[in-house]
Amino acid sequence: MSMTMGIVVLFVKMLAVLAVLLGMAAYMVLLERKLLGWFQLRPGPNRVGPFGLLQPIADGLKMLLKEDIIPRDAERLLFLIAPALLALTTLLAFAVVPFGPDLVIGGQVIPQVISDLNVGLLMIMALSSIGVYGVALGGWASNSKFSLLGAIRGAAMMISYELPLSLALVPVVMLSGSFSLTDIVNAQQGYPFILVQPLAFALFFVSAMAESKRVPFDMPEAENELMAGFHTEYSGMRFALFFVGEYVNMVLLGALTAVFFLGGWHGPFLPPIVWFLIKIMITPFFLIWTRASLPRLRYDQLMHLCWKVLTPLALLNIIVTGAFMAG
Amino acid sequence: MEITQSAASALNFWEPGALSLAVYGALLVAVMGVILFLSAWLNPTKKSPNKDIPYECGITPTGQARFQYPTPFYLVAAFFLIFDVEAVYVFTWAVSFTRLTWTGWLQISFFIAVLFLSLVYVWRKGGLEWSANPMR
Amino acid sequence: MTLYGAIFYLLAAIILAATALALTRRALMHAVVYLVNAFFATAMLFYLLGAPLPAAFEVIIYAGAIMVLFLFIIMLMGVKDGRDMDAKKALAVWLPPVFLGAATLAAGWVLITAPAGAKEALPMARATPAELGRFVFDRYWLGVEAVSFLLFAGLAGALFLGKSGDEAGKTAKDGQGGAA
Repeated sequence: MSMTMGIVVLFVKMLAVLAVLLGMAAYMVLLERKLLGWFQLRPGPNRVGPFGLLQPIADGLKMLLKEDIIPRDAERLLFLIAPALLALTTLLAFAVVPFGPDLVIGGQVIPQVISDLNVGLLMIMALSSIGVYGVALGGWASNSKFSLLGAIRGAAMMISYELPLSLALVPVVMLSGSFSLTDIVNAQQGYPFILVQPLAFALFFVSAMAESKRVPFDMPEAENELMAGFHTEYSGMRFALFFVGEYVNMVLLGALTAVFFLGGWHGPFLPPIVWFLIKIMITPFFLIWTRASLPRLRYDQLMHLCWKVLTPLALLNIIVTGAFMAG
Repeated sequence: MEITQSAASALNFWEPGALSLAVYGALLVAVMGVILFLSAWLNPTKKSPNKDIPYECGITPTGQARFQYPTPFYLVAAFFLIFDVEAVYVFTWAVSFTRLTWTGWLQISFFIAVLFLSLVYVWRKGGLEWSANPMR
Repeated sequence: MTLYGAIFYLLAAIILAATALALTRRALMHAVVYLVNAFFATAMLFYLLGAPLPAAFEVIIYAGAIMVLFLFIIMLMGVKDGRDMDAKKALAVWLPPVFLGAATLAAGWVLITAPAGAKEALPMARATPAELGRFVFDRYWLGVEAVSFLLFAGLAGALFLGKSGDEAGKTAKDGQGGAA
């Protein structure tokens, strides 16, 4: 088929991914407030639209029309681009996430993934470690002590959770023999990897909770110690971009859990894309649930957890998995 | 010849490769730019000296925030760097053995064992204890 | 010039510019940002040259671990931006990079002006991650094991230096710590 058609299809695909992502992120906020409300025996937001369904749109419009305040002596440029950097890295990671098997329309194969890199998993790891610059630079540039503390905590957390997060995925790579996310999903045709790798799943999930910077690991923002941590000084749309980053990150972690451990789009009866969207929602639901039920850890406790429990377990898991595969 | 040929195949928009990633990245940058431009364009800006003060719960801030700051865990950052390099080797190994042999397993097990020992060494020497009252 | 050539020179220009900016910035945080940019462009260059695995590792290790260590050191040291340098110190700071830069330029000049017969275009190669891994572990597995000992030594060294520095720092500015 022609090149123009290819460009059109690519743009349709990208816009669909962006619309789904931003829509999911916006409604994740509403879902979180609703669920938190129910956990605490109150109705949650219910004024704007039926069941509060128009709340995200109202919030977005309000954010867009708010004044954008830059504090005194802030590093202007870094302060201005830091929120976009965070949102950009999380959104970019979705380029390698496959939403379903290849479609065939009119003899033309259309893969339901933007870019099926053969180093997809590593690209996600790289983007996740780049994401810390949004937090560190934003907090540092604000010229506020709370923000700086939040930034340092964010960077300190990253050096702790990143290692078990990546090591927990090594068995997945061993089982599928590829870094490509499409290959990993295809390798789970028969059974999802969570059945053979429950320990890796647990390690990945705990590290992912730390990566999402939410309760019980929300030390960089810790509203009752640091106000809002690294985004204390942000207002208006830049504040909203930090939140887009955070909620898209929740969706991303849901998608990654689904791809690496829950079998991606595989499932009976329903169409693949529906299965995938259902599986994506599992992790965010647990993340919201933990927010309602767990207290915050101190961040030295997180470092101890990551370095003395999760990392040794992940290393052992690799050796044991290798022994089983070789034997 | 070879290069021009692969350039032509790389320009294929149907292929989910690096080109579509680049286009997606450019689209995202554009979206971010539009959002930031819109917020700058639509917003009222009313400057006032009090509004520009960094928020410190109502107390007037003293001095700059970017002062010398004790980060006792910078050592952990060095350890992270070293173990990250280790993870790179482990990943390289993991992707290349679809059907494991015992030789391959022994190679990586030795590698991991040495680094496991070094983790234990750092742990025993107190490299991971930096807080005043560490939790055991 | 082919499309690949154009992208190559664009990326090379970005890397050079970003590194030059990183070298000349007074504010260390800006230098870090430019250097991360340079690493990112280098990763793209690796990908362009058919080596996706080194490209990913470039970002993960250089931008994701080494520069984060730099961030900590900048925050820890509260480094002065060096505006109060006297001439002697400035010479000591600038002489080594100028010398190395000149040596690199000279070597580059020799390579460029060498007779055409000495030049050989390398064949286009694409190394998939699995192939590269098999290559490394089949041929150089002993080297990889040696790397593990090297990393062990590095770890012990970092621990030794950091801990002894810690002790000295504790006596120097007692009572300032613990605010983290």
